[in-house]
Order: sequence, then structure tokens, then C-alpha cells
Amino acid sequence: MSQVTPMVQPLLLQFQQLFFLSKVVGVLPQDLTKFRHKNVLEKSRNGMIYMLGMLALYVGLYNLLIYSFSEEDRTLKATQSTLTFVIGLFLTYIGLIMMATDQVTALFNQGKLGELYERIRVVDERLYREQCLVNNSCIAKRIRIMLVMTIIFELFILLTTYIELVDYTQWLSLLWMVSAIPTFINTLDKIWFAVSLFALKERFEAINATLEDLVTEHEKFQTWLTGDADAPEPHTADSSETQPPQYDSNLEYLYKELGGIDIGSLRGSGGKNNKVAPIAHSLNSFGESIQTPRKPHQPNPNPMMNMAHESELSNATKVEEKLNNLCQVHDEICEIGKAMNGLWSYPILSLMAYGFLIFTAQLYFLYCATRAQSIPSLFRSAKNPFITVIVLVYTSGKCIYLIYLSWKTSLASKRTGISLHKCGVVADDNLLYEIVNHLSLKLLNHSVDFSACGFFTLDMETLYGVSGGITSYLIILIQFNLAAQQAKDAIQSFNSFNDTAGLVGAATEFGNESSTLYDLVTTTMMTPSNY
Amino acid sequence: MIQVMNWLSMAIGLIPLNRQQLQSNFMLDYVMMLIMPCLYLASYLGINLFHRFGLPFLDDCNSVCRLSNNLFMHLGAFLYVTVILLSLYRRKQFFVDFETRLAEIDVIIQKCRRVAELDKMRSQAVKHSVAYHFTWLFVFSVFIFALYYDSRELYLTFGEYAIIPFMVSSFPYLAGSIIQGEFIYHVSVISNRFEQINKLFEKINQEARHRHAPLTVFDIESEGKKQELKPTPAEKAAATKAIFSNEPKLADELKRQKAQPPKQEDEDELNTSDEEDDDIFDYNDGMMGENTDSTSEANLPDLFKLHDKILALSVITNGEFGPQCVPYMAACFVVSIFGIFLETKVNFIVSGKSRLLDYVTYLYVIWSFTTMVVAYIVLRLCCNANNHSKQSAMIVHEIMQKKPAFMLSNDLFYNKMKSFTLQFLHWEGYFQFNGIGLFALDYTFIFSTVSAATSYLIVLLQFDMTSILRNEGLMT
Repeated sequence: MSQVTPMVQPLLLQFQQLFFLSKVVGVLPQDLTKFRHKNVLEKSRNGMIYMLGMLALYVGLYNLLIYSFSEEDRTLKATQSTLTFVIGLFLTYIGLIMMATDQVTALFNQGKLGELYERIRVVDERLYREQCLVNNSCIAKRIRIMLVMTIIFELFILLTTYIELVDYTQWLSLLWMVSAIPTFINTLDKIWFAVSLFALKERFEAINATLEDLVTEHEKFQTWLTGDADAPEPHTADSSETQPPQYDSNLEYLYKELGGIDIGSLRGSGGKNNKVAPIAHSLNSFGESIQTPRKPHQPNPNPMMNMAHESELSNATKVEEKLNNLCQVHDEICEIGKAMNGLWSYPILSLMAYGFLIFTAQLYFLYCATRAQSIPSLFRSAKNPFITVIVLVYTSGKCIYLIYLSWKTSLASKRTGISLHKCGVVADDNLLYEIVNHLSLKLLNHSVDFSACGFFTLDMETLYGVSGGITSYLIILIQFNLAAQQAKDAIQSFNSFNDTAGLVGAATEFGNESSTLYDLVTTTMMTPSNY
Repeated sequence: MIQVMNWLSMAIGLIPLNRQQLQSNFMLDYVMMLIMPCLYLASYLGINLFHRFGLPFLDDCNSVCRLSNNLFMHLGAFLYVTVILLSLYRRKQFFVDFETRLAEIDVIIQKCRRVAELDKMRSQAVKHSVAYHFTWLFVFSVFIFALYYDSRELYLTFGEYAIIPFMVSSFPYLAGSIIQGEFIYHVSVISNRFEQINKLFEKINQEARHRHAPLTVFDIESEGKKQELKPTPAEKAAATKAIFSNEPKLADELKRQKAQPPKQEDEDELNTSDEEDDDIFDYNDGMMGENTDSTSEANLPDLFKLHDKILALSVITNGEFGPQCVPYMAACFVVSIFGIFLETKVNFIVSGKSRLLDYVTYLYVIWSFTTMVVAYIVLRLCCNANNHSKQSAMIVHEIMQKKPAFMLSNDLFYNKMKSFTLQFLHWEGYFQFNGIGLFALDYTFIFSTVSAATSYLIVLLQFDMTSILRNEGLMT
């Protein structure tokens, strides 16, 4: 409760490098200079134009890439494996769609994103006022780690594929570099989301930690109290400490009376209590003197001195304000979470669709490649099992990390209710129970659940379902592939047989019946293909 | 029984020796946890790199046998490596933590039992039911049979080198099952504590029912506390002791009431100063409360705290063992599916033709059965613990509905109970036994796996094995 609230460090301060990078490659349109000076995200017309230009450039380049590499796919089309070809065709543009979704949503949200971080800053200030400090420093570290990981993965996949699997004697093969752009841009965008989500999770955890601190402090206070009750020596301290309960009950009586007059205005009477509280509390001899210098994350500098343990929980009215504020902050963080989820809902949906499809397709193409079948040229990385593993780790890592973080955040928000109740139980005070019950109902109602456009919630159970889906689709795909292969082999062997039979038939004038035989054999070969 | 399992898990290096002491020889404790994985990895790599001592490299092992054996071996490697890594990561800290928390909980439970006079019934809590012993016997016999079968077949095949293929075939599944056994043990301990709490809650509930009748008017305006104290000793057998203990208490009350009037005149209110008395009583007479409070509702705050603590303990336990559940359940799933597949598509048709093939298919079936039994017990116990914790909230609601005497004229108890039930709602949303959130460990998991297994089986059973079997010369 310092007299001048010092500015809390805005969260965006940690985003310097990330913003610069995203600005350059065209993930975010916001103003760079304003971000540098004031750490705010503001709309910028130039940025928008730049970003649209980049988007158009990427789309053009990517189309060029597809066109230039489509030569190789002619053979694929010729060699009949329709299933592989159709899957390849279907997934050609999915990376581009994902990237375009990210960029277009970023364009639409350019104003709202700034507001979001401003709201987080306000929350930080409020938390600071409640003496619960959030440490932002590890966020910068996280961003750096994620960036480095992204670049390593992208470069590794790109270079190994280029060296191993692309014919780099032609200068047009340099276009292969473009193939990494969509995933890179998508990852940058997702780093923004992941880090902001992580920041929210930290806020929730800070609230929980504050509540738990209250509990442990009160426990200490109680042991101190019972210890003193036995010893006759610190009698003065004892008498002064029994004062708060008495004063509490006085207030409680007041409170009850007001409540008795008008049950509906229970909260209103709380306001009156707040007015009374400071005066009453200042009578307490050492209450304030310890309170003011205490820093948020060091509970008590002098734990075992012969000094009174001050517990905020013994003073219901005062703690009511604090709990109320914490709950409001919790509510606000939940709202921010919802808003953030809304901003990124389409990109996340497209990412999840991308992850699911690419994971399945990559495994399927890997299977095809091990069977020496030709695969679409854009998925040539599947020809090498090692590169495939890296690609899969990269793609699934992105999706799973987001899902895991959302799950953890939502759990952390649920945890607050439990911590709040612990405060009530440990203090064991009627007034506090009423406060806690009221706030707990409130907390039960604001839960934050992250979802992708409402299609599915982002939690681990979804992951379980998706992994099951991937396996079953893979099995089905492989079976179809097997069946098609068998059919093709049969046709081929029959063709050779047919040729010889034709030769024989030509000799013995048996040719007219061989065609009916051909029909018969093909139908019999084709039908059991899938049983 | 638990001891046997603990020794076993120490012997094969899944939990550290001396897990209860924090200060003991570091090297000695973890040496077993390092030797066994090294041994395992040596056999695994030896078989896969040098192509010796493995079933797939025998001459009379056909392609089906080779495929299924490789699958079994690699699946086992995946299971064992994840399990051992997580066990190494857990180290001793968890066991020490668990025991200290459990001891704390037990102390409070003992105190509450003394207050609620449930002490005499304690002897029956220790006694286990027939089902318990039967389950243990069953599980042990199943495991012994599985291990015996595998080692005998391998000994017949490889002679004295049988230990090497045994390390890669049965050992990983054994290790995984034993870790699940540890999980089972910890969950059963938690479940047991929940049951004890429920008994205590039930006691309060019964008393509330009895006490509903003698509700009288005489001291409604003076003291709520007296009501809750007075009627109980009358119905209790140990009346004399209770009256004895009540005498000082009554005197205390009288004294306090005498001291009150000046205050009450200040406030111009008679009733609501009760809470203040309660507060003073709670703070100062906390130690004396044990003797004077012969009624069990005095337990309520302690019980609420206990419930909270046990739930916190289950969160820790689940955090430690949940991740190990995931590979185990996955392995169980795969082994069961392929067990059914091999049994129906291969063994029915060509059993008795090739000894090695029979051995591999039977191995699948045996281990699928064993792992399924263990998985079922895990799910059952987790479900039980969940239900027990839910039941406490139900009982508290029942008590609240009966409006027992101690709740009248005193909002504190009402608010306390309401707070408890609300907190339980929060807990319900926050925690359930689960495998890192992927699935909840209860009966719904069985349903989902069975449905998934069915669809996979439908796909798998469509594979046409006859041509392969014909190629191997097993079928004509």
C-alpha cells in the first residue's frame, strides 16, 4: 500500500525482439516506433500496407513454387495412385490458408491487440496494489527459447530437405526456400499467443500464491497465539491480540444488524464497514507499522522474533476488501483470457486442422515412401524417416504446447476457488465465511475455458481424442493403399498374362474370349481388395 | 502384502531404497535404480545391434512371429524407458513428502476419532475383507504364472542365456505393472482416509438425527453452545465422564455470561454476541477443547481441513503417478488388441504348427490379461477414492438439511458447511484422478478404450492373413 503506485513494467517490454521479428516478416501490422518508445501496440496504416504486400508476395511465391514443382507430380498422376494424389492435392494449399488466416486476423485485430495488453497492464497494477507481484522477466527468456527453437527446427527441416531431396542443380529449386515461410509465420504468430497465455497463467498463479500466503501466515499467527497463551510472560501482546476478534464481533454485530434490516444490501453494509475499519484498526498498536514496509514476495522478514505475527485474516473487514479485489482481478483475467481466445480463435482452429491433417498425411506419405511409391512433391520430406520425425515433432509440438498451456491456465483459474476457501477455513470466522462463500460462488461462475471457435475445447482430453483419430485414419488410409496396390499388381500381372494370352490367342484364334476373361479376372481381383 | 510389493519394486529398481529417510547414503539408494535400466538397455541394444539371443533371429521364427515379437519388444522398451525415467525423476522426495503428510492427517484423524468416541471401533478398520486378500492372491498368481510361462519357454529355447531375451520380453511389463501397484497402494491409502472421514461425518449425521427431538426453548436466547453440549452426554454411555468434563465448561459459560452484560448493554443487543464467545473459545480453549468437547460436531472444522488436505495429497500422488499411467495404458491397449488379433487370425488356424509362434501369441494373451487386471484395479480404486470424497459432501448436505441443534442460533456452523460444500465444488472442477489430463481414471475410460478397441479390431480383422500363412508353409 505505497502512497505512490509506481508504474509496473508493462508486459510488452519483454516482447521487443519478437515484435521486431514479426514486424519484419509481416505477422503484425502495428507501429514499430511507437512500440519502441512507449511499449504500446498501435494501429498503423503503413504497417497494414506493408503486411498486405508481404501477404501478396508470399502467396505469389508459394504459387510459383507449386507451379514449378508440379512437373514432378505429372508422373504421380500417371502412375495412377489416386489416393495419394488426391491427398496431396487437398493439402497443397493448407499451409497457405493457415498463414493467410493468421495474417488477416492480425490485420483485423490490430486495434484490439493493443487494448488486450493494456488491460493486462491494468491488471498488473491492481495486483501490485494487492501486494502480489508478478515476475515478467522469465517471459523474455521464454520468448527467446521459443524463437531459437523455431529457427532451429525450420532451418533444419529446410536445409536437410533441400540438400537431401531437392535437385539443386537447377536454379529454380531455390524456390523451395519459400516452402518454409507459412509454417514460420504461423509459429511466430502462435508464440505471441502462447506467451500471452503463459502470462495469464502466471497472473492466476500469483493470485493463488497470495491466497496461500495468507493461509500460511495465519497458521503461523495462530501457533504464535497458542504458544503465547501458555506462557504468562507476553501478557500485553496477548491482550492486544485478543482485541481484533472482539472488534470483529463488534463489527459483525453492526453488520448483522444492517443485514437484518435489509438482507439484500449485505454488500452495501460492507461499504460501511470499510469506512469504520481504518479508524478501528489504527488503534491496533503494531498493525500498520509492520504492514507498510512488507514487500509482496517475502512474507515476513523477521519470522521468529518475539514480535507479533500479523495476520490479515484475523481482521475480517480488511481482508474482505482484499479478497474482493483479488476476485475482481481474477474475473478480469478470465475476461482477458476469453478476449484473447476470441482474437486467436480462427488461427488456432486453422492450426489445429493443419496439425491434424499434416500429421496424418506425413505418416501416410512416409508409409508410401517406404513402399517405393511416388508421393507429392511438396511432401518430399516424408522420403526420409529422420526428417519426417523432426517435422512431426515440430508440428505436434506447436499444437500440443498450446493445448497444454490452455489446459494449465484453465486449471490455475480453477485453483483460485480452492485457495480462497482455505483462507476461510483457516480463519474460522463467521464473517469471513460469509465473504468467502459469496466470492466462491462468483468464482464458480467465471471459469475460463479455451476453445477453437467453440468447436472443441483446448484441453488434454481433446488431444487424446485427436491422437485416436489420427491412428484410425492412418490405418484406414494404409488399408486403402494396400488394396489399391494389390489391385494394381493384379492388373499388371494380368496385363502381362493378357499379352501372352493375346499372342497365344492370335495364334490359336482365341482372342475374342480373352477379353471376357479379362473382365472376369479384373472384377474378381478388384472386389476382394478391401475385405 | 504391501511390503512384498515394496521389496519387489526396490529389487527391480523402481523405487529407491530407504525411501522414507531423507538423509541416507545417496549412492546406495539409487544404485539399484541404475543397475536394472543398464542391464535392460544392454540386453535390448545387444539384441537389436548384434542380432543374437533374440527370438526374431532364430531360424524357425517365421515372419508373423518376427513381427509380433518385434512389436512386443519395442513396446516394452517404450514402456520401460518412460516408466524408469519418471521414477528416477520422482526420487525420494515424493515418498518422504507423502509419508509426512499422511502422518499429519492421521494425527488429526486420531484426534477427531477420540472426540467422536469412535475409538472402540478402530479394530475393525485394520482388518481387511476377504475380497482384498482374494484380489492380492489372484494378482500374484496371475503374475507368477505369466513369468513362469515366459521364463520356461525361453529357457527351453535359449538355455542358460534365457535371461537376456527375458529382459526384453516380460520384464518391462512386470516393471510397469509394479509401478501401477505402487500407484494402487497410494490411492488405496488415500481412499481409506476418505472412508474414515466419511465415518466421522456419518457419526455427526446420526447424532444430529437423534438430537433433533430434544430441542427445547429454554436456552435459545442465551447460548447456542450449551445446547450442543448438554443433550449428548445424556444419550452417551459414558455419562459420568462427560458430566465431569462438562462441569468446568458450564462454569466457564456462566462466568462468561456474567462478564458479558456490560458489553451487551453497550451494544443494546442480546443475541449476536455469541460469535465473539465462539471466537474466544476457539482461540484460547483450543487445547482444552479436546477434553471438554465430547460431541462430535466439534470435529467439523478439523474434518473440513482434513478433507482438503487429503485432496491435496491426492493431487500430489496423481501428479507423480499419472504420467506413468499413460504409457502403461497405451501398452495395455496395444497388447490387448494384437493379442486378440493374433489369437483369432493366427492361433485358431495354425496352432501347434510352430512352437515359437504359439509362444509369442500366448505371451500376448497372457500379458494382455495381466495388464488389463492391473489397469482395472487402478481404475476401480481411483473411482472409489473419487466417490468417497464426493460422499463427504453429500453427508454434509444431509446434516445441513436436518438442521441439528448446534446449527440453530449459530450461523457459524451453517456457513462453515456451506463453505465446505462450495469448496468441494471447486475441487471437483479442479481435480480428478487422471493421466496428465489425457483421460480421467474412472470407468468412463474403460468405455472409451473398449469402443476404440472395437473399431480398431474391426479394421485389423479385415487383414487377410491366409496368404502370408500360406507363404510361411503353415497352411496348405
